[in-house]
Amino acid sequence: MRCPVRFIRGIITEKRSKLSLVILLKNSVKEIKLNLHTRFADSADLTIREITLKSTSGLTAAVITMEGLVDKEQLAQSVLNPLMVYDFGSMPPQKAAETIQNAVAAAADLLTFTTVDELVTYITSGFAVLVVDGAEIMLAAGTQGYAFRSVSEPESEVVQRGSREGFSEPLRVNMSLLRRRMKSPELVFEQLTVGSESQTQLMLCYIQSKVSGQLLETLRSRLNECRLETVLGAGYLSDYLEDKNTSRLFSGVGISERPDTVCGKLTEGRIAIIVDGTPAVLIVPRLFVEEFQGVDDYSNRTYYATFIRLLKYLSFFIAVFLPGLYVALAQFHPEYIPSFILIKTAEALSQTPLPVTMEVLMMTLVYEIMKEAGLRIPKSLAHAVSIVGALVIGESAVTAGIISSSTLMVVATAAICSYVTASLYPPIMALRLVFIVVGGLAGLWGIVLATAVVIISLCSKTSLGVPYMSSLSPFSLRRMRDVFLRVSWKALGKHTIRVQKFPETEVDHAH
Amino acid sequence: MPIETPFSSKRFLLALMLAACSVILLQNNSLSKNSSFLFELACMAAGLLICFLCFIPALMLRKMRGADILRLSTRSPAFIKLPVAVFYACYFVYTALYFLIPYTDMFHSKYYPGVSPCLITVVLLGCCVYAAVKGVNVVTRFGIFLFLFAMLTNILMFGGNLTALELTASSVSWQGNAGDFWQNTRYFLTPAFIAVVFACLNADIRNFRLRQPVCALFFTGLKYAAVLFFIRFAVGAYASRQEYPTFVLSRTAHFDRFAGVESFYLALATMSVFMIISLLLCCVTKAIDREKNLRTVILFTLILLAAYTVSAYLHSAKEILTNPNIFIIFTGIAALLPLSGLIMGRKSNVPTLVHSM
Repeated sequence: MRCPVRFIRGIITEKRSKLSLVILLKNSVKEIKLNLHTRFADSADLTIREITLKSTSGLTAAVITMEGLVDKEQLAQSVLNPLMVYDFGSMPPQKAAETIQNAVAAAADLLTFTTVDELVTYITSGFAVLVVDGAEIMLAAGTQGYAFRSVSEPESEVVQRGSREGFSEPLRVNMSLLRRRMKSPELVFEQLTVGSESQTQLMLCYIQSKVSGQLLETLRSRLNECRLETVLGAGYLSDYLEDKNTSRLFSGVGISERPDTVCGKLTEGRIAIIVDGTPAVLIVPRLFVEEFQGVDDYSNRTYYATFIRLLKYLSFFIAVFLPGLYVALAQFHPEYIPSFILIKTAEALSQTPLPVTMEVLMMTLVYEIMKEAGLRIPKSLAHAVSIVGALVIGESAVTAGIISSSTLMVVATAAICSYVTASLYPPIMALRLVFIVVGGLAGLWGIVLATAVVIISLCSKTSLGVPYMSSLSPFSLRRMRDVFLRVSWKALGKHTIRVQKFPETEVDHAH
Repeated sequence: MPIETPFSSKRFLLALMLAACSVILLQNNSLSKNSSFLFELACMAAGLLICFLCFIPALMLRKMRGADILRLSTRSPAFIKLPVAVFYACYFVYTALYFLIPYTDMFHSKYYPGVSPCLITVVLLGCCVYAAVKGVNVVTRFGIFLFLFAMLTNILMFGGNLTALELTASSVSWQGNAGDFWQNTRYFLTPAFIAVVFACLNADIRNFRLRQPVCALFFTGLKYAAVLFFIRFAVGAYASRQEYPTFVLSRTAHFDRFAGVESFYLALATMSVFMIISLLLCCVTKAIDREKNLRTVILFTLILLAAYTVSAYLHSAKEILTNPNIFIIFTGIAALLPLSGLIMGRKSNVPTLVHSM
C-alpha cells in the first residue's frame, strides 16, 4: 500500500499545479485562525486548539483538525503529549517547528508545507496540522481515524467459491485489498482528483507492463474533462469514460465490488478506477462477453462452467425477447404457436378484457414497480409486500380475469431470467419494453428489424477504442475459449489476453 | 460515424456471400420448366463462373493500382470523377430497388396483405440509414450474426424437408437445350452484383486472398444447389406453380407437429435485404462524398423511396426496375469499369493496402 504521506503529498502536488494563485502565509496563528473561520464559515467541525509551549520565549502554537476525521487518542499520544512535555528553551519559532518535526512529534507521517490551501486539504483529509506562531513552515501529522464499514462480502456479486472480501468505502482500504492480491511492483496506483467542490480522490490502477500507454492517456484525458462540482460515486464518472458517438444502451464501463475480479481484469491490460467513498470500482474497457463471465466460472469444473455460461446467454435472450415474441405471435401469427399450446393460450387470452400487448406491457410495468418497492422498503415489511405481490397481483388478477395466466407466466419467466445477468438489467429492461411495443405494432417483422438495429448499434459501440462486441464480432476463434465455453486452465494459461490486442482495436499495443 | 479502421477481408467476403445467398430467398421461379436438375446445376456453375469473372477487373485494379475504383476516381480530374460517381450512384440505387421491390412484394403478398408496402419500405429504409451511417465495417460485423442465423434457418428449412424427399431414376437425367441454358444461366447471374460492391469497397479491407471470393461464390453455389435440389425433389411440381419457391420450401418444412419455419425465412429475408441495402448505401456514400456520409445516405434513401413509390403506382416503372436483363447489363458494365482505372489510374499510396496482397 502506498504510504499515506506520499499519498497526501500527491494530492498537494497536483493541487499546486492547478492553483493559479498560491497564498503564502506569515504563519501567525491569529491570521490562520481568522482565515480558516472565514473559509469554513465558522463550521462547527473545525477544531483549533491553541497551546502555549514550554519555552522561555513564550512560544504559542495551534493544532488544527476536523472533528470526526482524526483519531483523538493517536493525536494526544503522538502530537499533543510530546509537545506539552518538551522544553523548547529560547528557540526561535522556525527552529522550534523544525525541532518538532525532527525530535518531538511521534507521528509516523509528518509533512511540512506553507500555504493555507494545503492546510485545508490536509485537515479535510484527516491530518492534524500544527502551526507554530511565527514559523515559516507548518506541520501535518497523519492521525486519521474515522469510522468506515469493514470489509465484507459484496451483496451484488455473491460467489459460491472464492474470496468473501469486497471493496469498502475508504480509498486506501481498497488499494490494500488489491495490493494484497497482486504483489507485483508492476501494479501502479496513480492518483487524480475530480470534482471542483468535493475534491474527490480517485486512483487509476493498472499493471505497468500490460496496459496500453495510449489507453491510459485516453483515460486520463477523459477524466480531466470531468467538470463536475461533486463526485459522490463511481457512477458519476461513467458517462465521461464512454466513447463518443457510440450507443449508451449498454455500458462500456464495467463495475465490480470484488478485488479478485478487478485483479483478473488488470492482468488483461485493463484499467481500474477506484473512487474514494464508494465500494464500486470502475473497469475499462468493458466488453459484451464479459457480462456473462463470473468469478465462479473459473473455480468450477470446466463442463459445469460452460453449461452455466450457456444458460446465461439463453437467459439473456429469453429476458429480452420472450415477452415481445409472445405478443407478436399471439397478436399476428398464432399459426406459429404449436396447436396444443395455442388452444390453451387462446382460451386464456379470450377471457381477458385487454389486448395482449397492453396486458404484457402493464404486467411488465407492475413488476418493475414492485421490484423498485421491494428494493427500498424496510426488511420488516418485505414479507408483507411479497405476499401482496404474489397473491393480489398474481393469483387474484388471473382469477378475476384481468390478465391471462400465460401472460403472467411469460412476464415472470422473463423477469427471473433478467437476473441471471444482473449487470445487464438496465439494457434488458429497456429492450424488453421496446420489443413488446414493436411486437405489438409490427409483429415478428418489427422484432426482426429492431433486432437488426440493436445488433448494428452493439457492433458500432466501442469501449475506449476496443470494439464492444470483440470476440464475437470482430470474430476471434482463439478468444472463443472463454466466451461460450470455458476451457481448462491449462488451455487458458497457454495464451495471455491483452485487451489492446483485440482485433480492430483503435489503440496501440505497446505499453 | 463510420469506423475507419481497416477490417478483415474474410468478414467482408462473408457479408458479400450472405448478400449473394439472400438473392436466392427473393428470386421468383424463372428457370426453364424443361430442364433437368443436372442441367440446372451446369447452368448454375456457368452463371457463377461468370460472376467470378466479374471480380477480375476489380482484383486487377487492386493488384496493379492498389485502390478500388471509387478511390481511384476521386484522384482523377473532375470530368472522370463525376461520371464515375454518377454511374455508380445510379447503379447502386437501381440494385437496391431491384431487391427491395421483390422483398416488399413477397412480404405484402405472403405475410401482411393489409399493410401498405410503402409503409414497410419507409420503416426498412429508416433502419438501413442507421446502419449505413455506421459504415461498411459495422455492417460486415452484423454479417457474422446474420451468418449464424442463416445457418440455423437453412438447417431448419432443409432438415424439415428431409422426410419429403423423393429421389427417382429421372433425378440424374440430362435434359435441356441452348435456349434453356441462357434462360437458366441468367437466373444464376444475379449474385454478380457482389463483384461490383467488392470493386467499390475493397480499399478498406486487409489480408485479402484470391481464394476468398472463390469460396464466397462456391458456398453461394452450394446454397443454390441445395435449394434447387429440395425444391425439385421435396416440394416437386407444387413449387413450380408458386411464386418465391424458397418461401414454399420454408413453408413445407416441418418437424413432426412443429412447423412455422417460414417465420425464420421471413426473418432471414428481412435481415438480408436490410444488410444488402445498407451495404449499397455505404457504396453510394463512397461514390459521392466520403466526408458527409449522413447527408448523402439520407439523400439517396429519399431517392430510393421516391423511386419505390413511383414503381408502386406505375407498373411500367416497376417492370424496368425489376428487369433481370437490364440488371445484368448494368452489373456487367459496373464490373468492367474498373478496367478503365488500369489505363488511367496511378499506383495508390493508400497505407491500408500495403500489406494486403
